Amino acid sequence: MAASLHKENSLVRLFRWIYAGVDRTIFMGLKFTFPTRFVSPLGFLGMLTFVLFIILGISGALLMLWYEPILDRAWDSVENINDTIPYGFHLRNIHYHASNAMVMMAILHMYYQYFSGRYKIRNEILWVTGILIGVLTILEAFTGYDIIFSERAELAISIAASLTNSIPILGPDMRDAFFGSGFHDFVLRFYAFHVFLLPIALIGLMTVHFPRFLVFDVPMVMAITGAIMITGGVFPVDMGLKFDPNVPPGITVPEWYLTGLYAFLRSQYDKFVTGVAWPGLFIFTLLIIPFIDRYKKFSWKDRPLITAIGITSIAQIVVTTYWGFYIDPDRTKSLLDRLVIDPIFLYSVMILLVPLSFGFTYLMIKLAKNAEANAKRQPQKKESVITLPEKWIYFVLIALVGFQIYLNIAAYYALLNGMKNISLFIIGIIMLVFAGMFHMYRHGRSIANNPPPPSIPQTERIRALQEKKRALLESTNGKPRLEASDTSIPTIKSNGILDKVLNVARKNKSSFEKMWNRD
Amino acid sequence: MSGQPQSRGDDRISRRDFLKLLAAAGTVLTFTPFVDWGKFLPNPSGSTTKKSKVELPDGSQANVKTFKVNHSEAIIYPISDDPALNKEAFRTWQFIRLPVELGGDKNEASAFRAFSMVCLHLWCLWKYWPGEGRKRGECPCHGSMYDPATGKAFAGPAALQSPPSNVLPKLDLEVDKDGYLWILPPNWSVNGNGIVGYGRFIA
Repeated sequence: MAASLHKENSLVRLFRWIYAGVDRTIFMGLKFTFPTRFVSPLGFLGMLTFVLFIILGISGALLMLWYEPILDRAWDSVENINDTIPYGFHLRNIHYHASNAMVMMAILHMYYQYFSGRYKIRNEILWVTGILIGVLTILEAFTGYDIIFSERAELAISIAASLTNSIPILGPDMRDAFFGSGFHDFVLRFYAFHVFLLPIALIGLMTVHFPRFLVFDVPMVMAITGAIMITGGVFPVDMGLKFDPNVPPGITVPEWYLTGLYAFLRSQYDKFVTGVAWPGLFIFTLLIIPFIDRYKKFSWKDRPLITAIGITSIAQIVVTTYWGFYIDPDRTKSLLDRLVIDPIFLYSVMILLVPLSFGFTYLMIKLAKNAEANAKRQPQKKESVITLPEKWIYFVLIALVGFQIYLNIAAYYALLNGMKNISLFIIGIIMLVFAGMFHMYRHGRSIANNPPPPSIPQTERIRALQEKKRALLESTNGKPRLEASDTSIPTIKSNGILDKVLNVARKNKSSFEKMWNRD
Repeated sequence: MSGQPQSRGDDRISRRDFLKLLAAAGTVLTFTPFVDWGKFLPNPSGSTTKKSKVELPDGSQANVKTFKVNHSEAIIYPISDDPALNKEAFRTWQFIRLPVELGGDKNEASAFRAFSMVCLHLWCLWKYWPGEGRKRGECPCHGSMYDPATGKAFAGPAALQSPPSNVLPKLDLEVDKDGYLWILPPNWSVNGNGIVGYGRFIA
């Protein structure tokens, strides 16, 4: 059994041949890693964002076959996709939820790079292109939800057009150039931006943005795909109401990544300042932050000011995002009274958040440093170990395959009975099960590659391994020790061999960190 | 350049610099024609140098002798051959003959107004209400109200917007000797006829 897992078949050889041939291409500098164990996704959030981009590309290309970017047909064609075309509902929901996931993932990716200090010292180009990619990603998502041409889309277009117009001197010409005139042009042009111009710009920037070390973690990718489908099944995106200029629109708010901006617009202060200058200032600050950060160290604990600025930005984003969603539910008031946000209130809260965030950062750094000192004083805790007998790996895998057969049938029957969202939900579960299966598979493979010595009795074996572990840990003396808060190398409950593998990985990681931290 | 290769006076440019200058001039001239290609981007359908008829929904041309006082119709400007484009909100205009108290009984162009129907607040379509006590443009969405004489919003959310977004774009009208109404070529800028959906400055 173990041998069969290890053996190279012709397909594997073909892949290896192709992989070797890539050496002669533009990708020769890339180092692709397929982790053979669980690693924290924090280190490869960027790759996950890219995977979402690919998912969006594929689902979007399929939606293009049915969507019609024409004034009086756009909404109807989306309705057709949603209600009539087989699997149109699935693809539309995957496309919608993947777009939200991509924006969220990009934001998480950015903040992880920010707090871990990886954006500076020769990584400035990566950071700057990353910020530009982030801005284009939001524009991409924005143009996407506008071309449905529902009431909400019309509202969003009207705000975007009037914001563009409000730019001094160039504004009206820019509006003419980017939007054309009238809804007919808007829909068609937003479509052109959405399916071609912005993605091309994104791909161009991505080729610059890609670092040379890439991690492609199959279980995590499948888990994210599954999570998108499950979200689509539980919260299927609605159609909204078709825009009709003669029908008063209900209250609509934009997508969550724009409600922060919307909160400022609702303060009724000057359009250009609130809608263009504030976000422009925010983006500009992000662009120049690696050049401002003069700290020699990288950890967030050693860069108090930069960390405090980051925490402030998060606090302000969270507060304005929520505020943008909030609309006074009192229907007896006029619409305007319900919508308008008192600018003095809004801006005072924004300012108040600055000292609060700085104080919070100070507290967190104090606590983290204390915890670090405590961890150093106390002896390291023994890791608890769960030993999964080898044959159970096969049992679990067989059970999961059986479960997948069941889920396949269930998903198909759900579709036959018209329960599209249930079917999408179950397909999402299938993806998650695959993620679990793949993890079990690689776990089994790593055991097969390092078979445990069978003769030593269990207790002695553990003692021997602990000896080895101690020896390994001592050999890392002088190198940065693993911090208590570091989760990127998790303590997996596993058998002794995997433990050993992990220790080697820790050792590698600390030397890797050393490499990172060199000046 | 006339056979004096040695002369390198301070006031003369060197052969190399002259070469660079020529190359730069050539590069600039090569790409100059494409600047004007920027005109590809804006939609030219709205810009015309010709007068066009005020065409009422029944297909006839509006005439000062027959069009009722204190009355309005929705007209399309510019009219397209494509029926889908004629449904475009941005091409719909409210053609109003003012009430008597605003000088609507005169048989001249000053008695008429044509304002973009796209409300400056959130682009719903407003219309003129001739009833006694109203005689104003009202938007069905959020209650913005417009003065029919100037196109300025005086109530509702559109009135709170800063200029130019509180005054409706308008079309300039002309009456010929037979009393027929014509729309003069517009100047789509905030200081001219205004920008549909955005507004217009008034003095």
